[in-house]
Amino acid sequence: MWEMEPGVMITAVTIIVSGAAIVLGTMGPVIMEGLAVSKALEGMARQPEATRDLRTTLLISMALLESTAIYVLLVVLILIFANPLLDRFF
Amino acid sequence: MEGVFPEVVFTLFGLPVRDTVISTWIMMAIVTAAAIIIGRRQLTALEMLVDFLNDLISGVMGAPAAAFLPLLGTLAIFIAAANVIGVIPFLSSPTRDINTPLALALVVFFSVHYFGMREKGVWGYLKDMASPIFILPLELVGQLSRTLSLTLRLFGNIISAELIIAVMFVLAPLFVPLPLVGFSIFTGLLQAYIFTVLAAVYISAGLAANEPLRKPKGAPAG
Repeated sequence: MWEMEPGVMITAVTIIVSGAAIVLGTMGPVIMEGLAVSKALEGMARQPEATRDLRTTLLISMALLESTAIYVLLVVLILIFANPLLDRFF
Repeated sequence: MEGVFPEVVFTLFGLPVRDTVISTWIMMAIVTAAAIIIGRRQLTALEMLVDFLNDLISGVMGAPAAAFLPLLGTLAIFIAAANVIGVIPFLSSPTRDINTPLALALVVFFSVHYFGMREKGVWGYLKDMASPIFILPLELVGQLSRTLSLTLRLFGNIISAELIIAVMFVLAPLFVPLPLVGFSIFTGLLQAYIFTVLAAVYISAGLAANEPLRKPKGAPAG
């Protein structure tokens, strides 16, 4: 197994790492977004007149939380479609 | 790799023109024509749009924001149109090329400093940025990273929606991707909203004086 060509080796490692990165990297933001939504829903249920302010704040904070997951996605896209290491072998 | 990154269609005076630039031109034509036609026929619709944007920006900035309406409203309309136009076949969203979100984020970056300096004066703005001197590096890193995150958030959301639609289209063509197309329209409009609100938040943070953190003069010690 370990006598693979370097290009094949890098491809295999890239595929495994991409899957693991998506799984592990989206886990944290998703949990935190769920917490934020549940807290905002509690607040809206308790004070329906504050719904408008809560919605704006919720959307902004969700966007900020979401950007970490987007960074993971961009790293994975670079690894899959424009791998800088792979260019040395092909 | 084809189809993921924008392709160079032709070169104009040595500058490569990608397909996203061409769809930007088409989008500009559509938006201008729509504005002219709707302005002739149903001026009320345009007034409703301007009213909505004015309410949104004033609500976020916490003050009447007529001075920032041209910039932020243009950003909102441009990004919304640019995200939605990728739904039309053979056109790709301008925002899926990372240069477009980067240009928009740079516009926000410079306008934050411009409005801050106009409000507080050049020296006052710079002094406020470094009011305790050890804040200065944090402030600089914050300015750069917020520009980077504005860019990458818009780009990543749009390109991920388009990639998911492309993958679903390869797997199960024609009818299965349709809900995802609707979802990508929703994502695009939401990203335009978020970009505008974040730009308004950054501009109003640049306007706000750093005063409340300091102790008022004559306050009792402790």
